[in-house]
Amino acid sequence: MSTTTPLPQKPGLPLEVRALTKRFGGVRAVDDLSFTVPPGRVTGFLGPNGAGKTTTLRCLLGLVRPTSGEVLVGGRAYRDLDQPLRQVGAALEAASFHPGRSARDHLKFLAQAADIPVARVDEVLATVGLAEFSGRRVGNFSLGMRQRLGLAQALVGDPSVLILDEPANGLDPAGIAWLRGLLRALAAEGRTVLVSSHVLSEVQQTVDDVVVIADGRLVTQGPLVELERSQASVLVRTPERDRLAGSLREVRPQSTVSEDGADALHVSGWSTAEIGRLAHDQRLELHELANEPGDLERLFLELTQGVSR
Amino acid sequence: MRLGLVRSELTKILSTRLWWGLLIGVVLYTVIQSAASAAFAGLDPGAGQPTTPGLESPETLRGIYAAAAFSGAYIFALVIGVTGMTGEYRYETATPTFLATPRRVRVVVSKAIAHLVVGIGYGVVAVLSAFLAGGLVVLIRGNDLGLGSPGLWRAVALAVLAVGLWTLVGIGIGTLIRNQVAALLVAVAVTFLVEPLVSVGLYAADLEEVGKFLPSTASSAVTSPPAVFGELLPWWAGALVLGGYAVLFAAMGVWLSVRRDVT
Repeated sequence: MSTTTPLPQKPGLPLEVRALTKRFGGVRAVDDLSFTVPPGRVTGFLGPNGAGKTTTLRCLLGLVRPTSGEVLVGGRAYRDLDQPLRQVGAALEAASFHPGRSARDHLKFLAQAADIPVARVDEVLATVGLAEFSGRRVGNFSLGMRQRLGLAQALVGDPSVLILDEPANGLDPAGIAWLRGLLRALAAEGRTVLVSSHVLSEVQQTVDDVVVIADGRLVTQGPLVELERSQASVLVRTPERDRLAGSLREVRPQSTVSEDGADALHVSGWSTAEIGRLAHDQRLELHELANEPGDLERLFLELTQGVSR
Repeated sequence: MRLGLVRSELTKILSTRLWWGLLIGVVLYTVIQSAASAAFAGLDPGAGQPTTPGLESPETLRGIYAAAAFSGAYIFALVIGVTGMTGEYRYETATPTFLATPRRVRVVVSKAIAHLVVGIGYGVVAVLSAFLAGGLVVLIRGNDLGLGSPGLWRAVALAVLAVGLWTLVGIGIGTLIRNQVAALLVAVAVTFLVEPLVSVGLYAADLEEVGKFLPSTASSAVTSPPAVFGELLPWWAGALVLGGYAVLFAAMGVWLSVRRDVT
């Protein structure tokens, strides 16, 4: 058996969640949720704790039976996939390992069940930086090492789709940077990467797209840059703050203008050039005119709290 | 059924330390039972009790080599079956397992086969232990080993198979009661306490016809040992009844596993 298993290049598969509803007893954990995850990009699956992220992922993976709706991987239900581990690799929140079993044996039984060469186990343990701990029982692992083993489990089948639930938990900053690079590289190869998190800032630098849910319902979906753009505003400093604010509101009633301190305004719905021209026309003195990045963390809080209860 | 899946389940069993801990139990418990039944066979128990058949009797020899092996090993087979299933829920390895094989029927059937293999291994070790310990006592008492005794090899083979089948009973109990500690307590208590009590109760109430069909009682019939009290089923009927229990419990394991949400 060779030390490196040849990995056939395969395109990612889209994930589709269609009108998914899951009730546990009387509780609607997921409520008529629909979204799609395209291949070749890293998608952040965001929502506060208890929003239904894990339940959605478990439905996607055939572990939990939807009350209604369907979840498809490349157009098929998970349980109908021919070689599920080669198509979808997943690491779910609760690290699921027997404490008395070694990391290597854990991956070995998975490889055997999925008809993956056992040589791949050592390869993937090396990828996640656990090569020297492969024979050690998982009960002695730190949280960060368990996360890495979970990732190794997801990667063992060299899958087209990668689904990770809160993968950054327990990783140190170096580990998070490493994970970011790995996910970006996997998406660049054309794979589908879905990463859930309850903290936007954790995935902000990694994801291309976001799917935001709260209370089991979709809040927003789209490219992160668009979300950022929608939140971007312009900072203006002028000694004649009230006059400028008045003009801005008068010309574009739909724009938002908020006062800040004695001489500053935060304006959205206007570009810097447009504000500069208006100030010039009205002979207003400007001290500062600059683009402000959107505060995504605040937006995330607003979005997810808006629908709460 | 794919061989890889059975191998995967065997890897699970053999990659933690439980299996050999139980194996030690199999050896010790069998040695004690086999040596004791060889030591006391044919002796006058006193108190007006009838004397048991001596070491020349075929049924005594089946008791020493086969029945002692079965009763020394089957409880450990039950335990490994129970933990094999409940461990999947306790340590949540059910999640990666069902991710690798979303057709859960295949998982449970492979698990049953793997446990049957390990259980048969326990049965073989138990029989070897019984031959060594029981045989030694027989020789010490100046008797012939009696390896050509009628029905002995059939009883030995069925004892091995019966031990294997008890792993399936364990898998069924483990699916029904997912809490590992509770499942173990119930499994061991039912076989060690409840069944003997029910059995005695049925005997007292002249219902021993029913008592014969209880799982442990029916299983011990496969070796046609000397009857302790009451009649046992004929060996073939005992084997059929035990096979029925095993299929029933394994089927329950499949049915429940397939329907459940894994959260």
